[in-house]
Amino acid sequence: MSNIWKSAKLDFSLVKPYVKTICFTMVLPVVFAAINRSLLTGISFAMCFIAMTTGYTFSITEKNSMERLYGILPIRKSDMVIGRYIFIIIMGLTALIFSLIAHPVILTILGESISIFDYISAAVTGIFLFALYTVFQLPGYYRFGSIKGRVFMYIPVAGFLITLLLITKSPVGESKLLFTVINSPILLMLLAVIFVIAMYIVSILVSIKILKNKEM
Amino acid sequence: MNDYLEVRNLSKSFEGFQLHNITFTLPKGYIMGLIGPNGSGKTTTIKLILNMLKRTSGEVKILGFDNIASEQEAKRNLGVVFDSNYFSDEWKISQVEKSVSAFYENWNTQKFSETLKRFHIQPSKKVKELSKGMQMKLMLACAFSYDAKLLILDEPTSGLDPVSRDELLHILSEYIEDGEHSVLFSTHITGDLERAADYITYISYGELFFSGGKDEFIDSFRIVKGGCEELSTDLGKKMLGIRNFSTGFEALVKTEDLKQFAHLNVEPATIDDIVVFTSKRGEQYE
Amino acid sequence: MKLIISNISGIPIYEQIKQQVKSAIMSGDLQADETLPSLRTLAKELKISVLTVTRAYTELEQEGFVKNIQGRGCFVLGQGSELLREQLICKIENNLSEAISAARVANLSEEELHHLLSILMEEKTDE
Repeated sequence: MSNIWKSAKLDFSLVKPYVKTICFTMVLPVVFAAINRSLLTGISFAMCFIAMTTGYTFSITEKNSMERLYGILPIRKSDMVIGRYIFIIIMGLTALIFSLIAHPVILTILGESISIFDYISAAVTGIFLFALYTVFQLPGYYRFGSIKGRVFMYIPVAGFLITLLLITKSPVGESKLLFTVINSPILLMLLAVIFVIAMYIVSILVSIKILKNKEM
Repeated sequence: MNDYLEVRNLSKSFEGFQLHNITFTLPKGYIMGLIGPNGSGKTTTIKLILNMLKRTSGEVKILGFDNIASEQEAKRNLGVVFDSNYFSDEWKISQVEKSVSAFYENWNTQKFSETLKRFHIQPSKKVKELSKGMQMKLMLACAFSYDAKLLILDEPTSGLDPVSRDELLHILSEYIEDGEHSVLFSTHITGDLERAADYITYISYGELFFSGGKDEFIDSFRIVKGGCEELSTDLGKKMLGIRNFSTGFEALVKTEDLKQFAHLNVEPATIDDIVVFTSKRGEQYE
Repeated sequence: MKLIISNISGIPIYEQIKQQVKSAIMSGDLQADETLPSLRTLAKELKISVLTVTRAYTELEQEGFVKNIQGRGCFVLGQGSELLREQLICKIENNLSEAISAARVANLSEEELHHLLSILMEEKTDE
C-alpha cells in the first residue's frame, strides 16, 4: 500500500508546477453554473474540465523521458498504475469539493435555491462523469501516450450523450425495471456508485496489463 | 554474493534487429566496459536488464535477484545513469531528493548533500538549470545516497568534455575502491575504458563478440602493418579486418596467428582498433 | 616507492609494475616487511584497472618477491633481493649461451668474444 501512495505523491510532484494552471480551469465552470442557473451544469463542466488535466502526468513524463526513472525505481508496475489512478481520483475529488462549495455560493448569491437533492445528485453525477472520462482516458494514455491518447477523452462524452439520447427515445424507456430505477433516486445513486467502482477496477486492471507489456 | 550481475542467454527480437544470446557476468568490486558500435545492442541490453523491454529469452540476476520475479528487490541495490537527465526539469534539487528518497529505505540525506557539495551542484537550482555534466553527476549523487551496489551507466560521457570524462572515471574508481561495488559502463568512447576497465563485454551487431578480462581482450589481438606486396591471399584470410592504402595496409589479427605475420610490423592493438576493425563487416581483403 | 607507468613503451602495464617493484627491492628502496601500496588504491591513483594491479601483485608473489596477506596487504619478502639476483643470473646465463651459439656460427673465437664483452662493459659504464 505504501508504494502506491509513494507513486501517487511522485505524480503530484510532477504536476506541482502546473497547479496554478489547473486551478484556473476550475473558474470557468463557475461561470457556466451561473449562466445556466444550474448546479448540475456547473458540476458537469467542472468534472469535464478537470478530467482534461489528467494527461499532465503522462505528458510531463514523456517530455523528460522520465519513464526511465520509473524503470529504475524499485516499485512494481501495478503499484505505479494504482498510484496514478489514486492521484487522479484525488484531483477529481478536490475539484468536486471545490465546485460543490463555490457553485452553490454563486448560485445562492444570484438568488437560486438549492435543495439537498440537487446537491447530492449533482455530486453523484459529477463523480460518475469523472469516472466515465478517466476510465477510458488512462488506459488510452498508457497505450498510446499522452498525445494520441487525447482522442480517448472525447469518446466517453460522445458515448454518454448518445446513450442518454437512446434511452429517452427507445422503447426500452418503457420497461418497468428501468422505470423503477429512474424513479428511485436512492437506487440510482447506489447503482452509480457501484458502477463507478466496477469501472475503475476494470480500467486499472487493463492499464496494468498495458504497462506490463509496454516497451519503454 | 560474488557476482553482482549475471546475464545468461539474453535475447530480444525487434523488427530488423536481433539481440542474440548475450551472456556475461560481472563480479563484485570491478568495472566492466560494455562496448560496441552504435546500434549494436548495448542500450537494448541495459534496458532488458532493467526490464524496460520484454526479453524473448534468457535470464538476468542482479545481486542474485531475478530481474523480473524479484524486480523490486533487484532494483533496491541498483543505480542507473543514462546519457540524459531523467528527472522532471522543473524540479528543484530538493524535490529530486524528496521524490527519489521515498523509494529507498536506506537513503542517506547527509551523504546526498555532501555528494552535491563535492560535485559543486547548488541545491537551490532547478534541474533544467544544470549543465549536462552536472545533470549526470546528479543522477550519480542519487545512486550514491542509497548506496547502490551496482551502478549501470549508459553512454554517460557522450556530450561531455574530456575534463568531465576524466572526473567521472575518477569518481568510479573511488566507488569500487572498497571492493563492495561494481560498475557496468556502456560506451562507444572506448578511450575512457582503455586503462580503467577490468572486464570488457563487446557486443557487435546483436551478437556477443567477447566477454572477459580487458588485458586478455587487448592481448588477444595485434595490429600488423606492411607493404602492398606483402599481402598474400592466405594472410588475408587470417585477418579480422583490414585497411588498404596506396602505400601499404594495416590489419587486425589474432595474437595466436601472429607467427605467420612475423615478418611484418607488429604493434599492440587498442580497444578502439579492435572494435573498429571487427566492425567493418563485409570489407574483406580482395 | 616510485611507480611510473608509461602508455607508450609498449610494455604491458602489469609488467611495468613488476619490473619497477623488483628494481625497488634490488636498490633497497623497498625493504623486507614493507607493504606495497594497497591494490585498489594504487589502481585508482594510477588510473589503471584493478585486475592489472592484481595480476602484477599475484605474479610477484608467485615469483617469490612478495606475500599477499588477506586483509593486511602485500608484504615484501626478505629474500627479495636474493631471489632477484638469482633470476637475473639465470637471465645472464641464457643470454650468454645465446651469444656463444651465435659466436660459433659467426666463427668468433673465445678471445674475440671476451674482447667484445670488455668493450661493451666499458660502453655501459660510460652511459
